[in-house]
Amino acid sequence: MDVNFRKIDIDQYDEDALLDSELYDSDPRDPAHALEDTKQNAAAVRSSLSRNDYVGALTLVLGNAPYGPNVEEAKNLNLQTLVSILNSTKATDIPAIVKALSPDTQDTLMKYLYKGMALPGWGDVSGSVLLGWHEKLTEVAGTGCIVRAMTDRRLV
Amino acid sequence: MAPPEIFNLSQQSPITCHAFNADRSQVAVSLNSNEVRIYARQGNDWSHIDTLSEHDKPITSIDWAPNSNRIVTSAQDRNAYVWQQSPDPQTGHMVWKPTLVLLRINRAATFVRWSPNEDKFAVASGARAIAICSFDPEGDWWVSRLLKKPIRSTVLSVDWHPNNVLLAAGSADIKARVFSAYIKDVDKRPSASVWGEKLPFNTICGEYASPSGGWVHSVAFSPSGDVLAFAGHDSSINIVYPGGPAVYSVKLSILPLVTLTWTTEESIVAAGHDCQPLVFAGNQGSWELVGSLDEPQSSKSAGSTRSGLGGPSPVGRLNSAAFNTFRNAAERGISNAPGSPTAASSGESELFTVHQNTITSVRPYSGVPGQIAQVSTSGVDGKLVVWDVNAVTPISAAGLAGKLGKMQVR
Repeated sequence: MDVNFRKIDIDQYDEDALLDSELYDSDPRDPAHALEDTKQNAAAVRSSLSRNDYVGALTLVLGNAPYGPNVEEAKNLNLQTLVSILNSTKATDIPAIVKALSPDTQDTLMKYLYKGMALPGWGDVSGSVLLGWHEKLTEVAGTGCIVRAMTDRRLV
Repeated sequence: MAPPEIFNLSQQSPITCHAFNADRSQVAVSLNSNEVRIYARQGNDWSHIDTLSEHDKPITSIDWAPNSNRIVTSAQDRNAYVWQQSPDPQTGHMVWKPTLVLLRINRAATFVRWSPNEDKFAVASGARAIAICSFDPEGDWWVSRLLKKPIRSTVLSVDWHPNNVLLAAGSADIKARVFSAYIKDVDKRPSASVWGEKLPFNTICGEYASPSGGWVHSVAFSPSGDVLAFAGHDSSINIVYPGGPAVYSVKLSILPLVTLTWTTEESIVAAGHDCQPLVFAGNQGSWELVGSLDEPQSSKSAGSTRSGLGGPSPVGRLNSAAFNTFRNAAERGISNAPGSPTAASSGESELFTVHQNTITSVRPYSGVPGQIAQVSTSGVDGKLVVWDVNAVTPISAAGLAGKLGKMQVR
């Protein structure tokens, strides 16, 4: 059966269509600025990690995370930076780190965990690392945190 | 601290919505069908006394006006009816007679509420509009004017301001809004309030969103009308002080709330997918979750071994019996479906809460606005429960997840 009709964007024929841009305010920074911020964060994270300051590193990466359309490059870079933090923590340290994060930061971390899991072939991310963080984060922040990762239109 | 009164109105089907009459001797419910069933209280039980059938698609909402004793219903068939009792010419018995309302919407009607003076009602709909209906004595029918702008999606709930003019609406376009629903022939000019001074029809007095988005399932004005609360699908409850301007947002670690009601000017009862009514308290300084009306130990017989909300689980329902059923199936190949005749299953699949499924409606039951003593809830499990709002179990004992973030935006 021909199913290509399912891919037709029917909203383009609806002059009253609800656009994504009406549902949330996009990232106030322009793409170049967002990328620059993300690069600076990546450098700051490296120095935080060298001091074993995982909470500080995560707060840096997640606190000003690029979101929305047009900032794909910054989003990918930020994900790589985040994954480097996740990979360098010991499993036994995760609960304490997660507890020390602010609720907003926890929500953003959950978004990144799901983004990581959605990557084709999971990219260079180890599945067990993501699932380990997901388990500990859910124990602290609850199912509400997962629901917020799903409802939030400000995709990271 | 009286224990909750629990009534099993329906074993199989969910209760879509419920509305009591003025003296609480009768209740109108819809059991997920196109009929409204009216039950009368007899001691500690409810008996089915009447059925209102005129809709031909499932009922979505019912409201029973306490003073004029009229019922208004909305349904997926895009219609609303106003039901009035009149004596049957042959038998002399009182029967409910429907009046059609000219709604002029082309999608389902989703929610309906009488205004405080009972001379208007608001019908929310999937047609990106709210119909404000008033009675036209010349035509002897209910006519409507539509609030349309700037609604971008289905309206899920509405609530009237005590001044009979302002209307709050929660919508699937992730916004809670406050509109003027001023109808010239019905309303006197409203006095100025925190929401504005000049209020012609369809004035937008405020537009608010949850921090993490999500459909706005429920909205409510405080008893004074000066504060607005709304619950979103991002598991948050938000309290708006328009004069501030401040929005307090309490993020929950549990599943989203879908219904809420104010009990005093400084407290709210809200419920939803977590199957228990939660109590929030606060004022212009801050808001927080204080506890649950569902006290796990007293609501269930002692000595049972159920796991669930009241158990040692730190994360809401995540470690519930349902979760364990799937985990057992995945890890050990044990299939232990609810309802199967194995020893553990029947008790294990029961939640620790009184309601065994999502609570879809919470409404004031007794007391006066601003000093509500009891609230009633109904839900997908077919139960109708009346709770004492002062019987609050603190959150730690109720076993809710540890971290309940609280923050202020703006």
